Amino acid sequence: MNRWFTAAVLTAIVAALSPSLSAQWPLYPISGLPKGPDGKPNLTAPAPRAADGKPDLSGIWEVSARREKPGSAPPGRPPLAMFADIGANFIGGLPFQPWAAELSKKRVANQRYDNPDALCLPQGPLQYHLDPQPREIIQLPGKILIVYESNYGIRTLYTDGRRLPPQGDPQPYWHGYSVGRWEGDTLVVESNNFRGVQGGNAADGWFDQMGSPFTDALRLTERFRRVNFGTMEIDVTIDDPKAYTRPFTVRVEQQIVPDGSEMIEFICHENQMFLKLTGRAP
Amino acid sequence: MNIKTAVVLVGVGLLLAARPLVAHHAFAAEFDADKPVTLTGAVTKVEWTNPHAWFYIDVKDETGKLTNWGLEMGSPNGLMRAGWTRNSMKFGDVVTVEASRAKNGSNNANARVVTLKSTGQRLFAASSQGQGQQP
Repeated sequence: MNRWFTAAVLTAIVAALSPSLSAQWPLYPISGLPKGPDGKPNLTAPAPRAADGKPDLSGIWEVSARREKPGSAPPGRPPLAMFADIGANFIGGLPFQPWAAELSKKRVANQRYDNPDALCLPQGPLQYHLDPQPREIIQLPGKILIVYESNYGIRTLYTDGRRLPPQGDPQPYWHGYSVGRWEGDTLVVESNNFRGVQGGNAADGWFDQMGSPFTDALRLTERFRRVNFGTMEIDVTIDDPKAYTRPFTVRVEQQIVPDGSEMIEFICHENQMFLKLTGRAP
Repeated sequence: MNIKTAVVLVGVGLLLAARPLVAHHAFAAEFDADKPVTLTGAVTKVEWTNPHAWFYIDVKDETGKLTNWGLEMGSPNGLMRAGWTRNSMKFGDVVTVEASRAKNGSNNANARVVTLKSTGQRLFAASSQGQGQQP
């Protein structure tokens, strides 16, 4: 084959593979995104499977825009948690211990000065689940990583069969210590050894923008279910007897970021004006 | 594509981006939603940084005196997802900003909408105002 023909073929191939001029960074197509017969993404296709046959939760996920009226969840579905207030859809609010209700009121009255979100600190498990910025789940044999775009968040969920460590054994973590196991197609993650408000930083132990507290007694159970390619449901049970009078469960919903846009670096500290503007800079 | 098409697409994209794009913390601690200001001036500096992009403009009063104002926007992450690039606004561009003034009385404000005088393009600033404050 002569070189002109080869050059023409190569040019055609390069032209076909080049991104459209109208595509704006950071778009890059998701590999393996299922398409319908019309060539458009089919987000209701079945969830993909990992090599071991379990559902693969990997992907970049954003929080769902669904809203509901308080008390309107049908039987068997927990109330939807909101980033602003995880108890927003509970009739009567969360079952706070009296001191916890007082602390939440005080945190709001204090203009949320110590919200970890504002201070570039780890935001706690519920704020991270509900944050408007995306998160990437990376499922590997033996562990699952969740990397949150906001505030350098990273959680490791150990799925290698290890058990939850005894309370008080490991150093307390902002993110807690998490182990996961499969029950059918549901990943059940249990976590303990959170710092909670006992951690001593004013930014410790905030479930939401209302400052709903959590403590070092928190035992968190999260049930992750990838309903289909594009939909994730996470039922989160909060069992923290120091802060709440009974365990309760909230629903988190996320959807895959369909246009393939990437996570974007977010270096929260690089120009942190909040402390200066709130009169707390040294 | 031509500029006009691009502007229309960005505008449509912004209208669709109804959801707040960046996690926020405490708008109410720094800024007062009941103290709106509208400022017009030439850009003197752009800080395309996290967690909030900031830009500064020289605003001229009726005597001709210049006052430099600082405007806070959302993070570059949120702004890019709303159609901005880090070059959307440059030194010398004249802009009109709808904003909420800082509580401490300083010449700072939280920008909600920025209109570029040269093109008339209106860009939402991925502001944290109103986000996270209500259940």
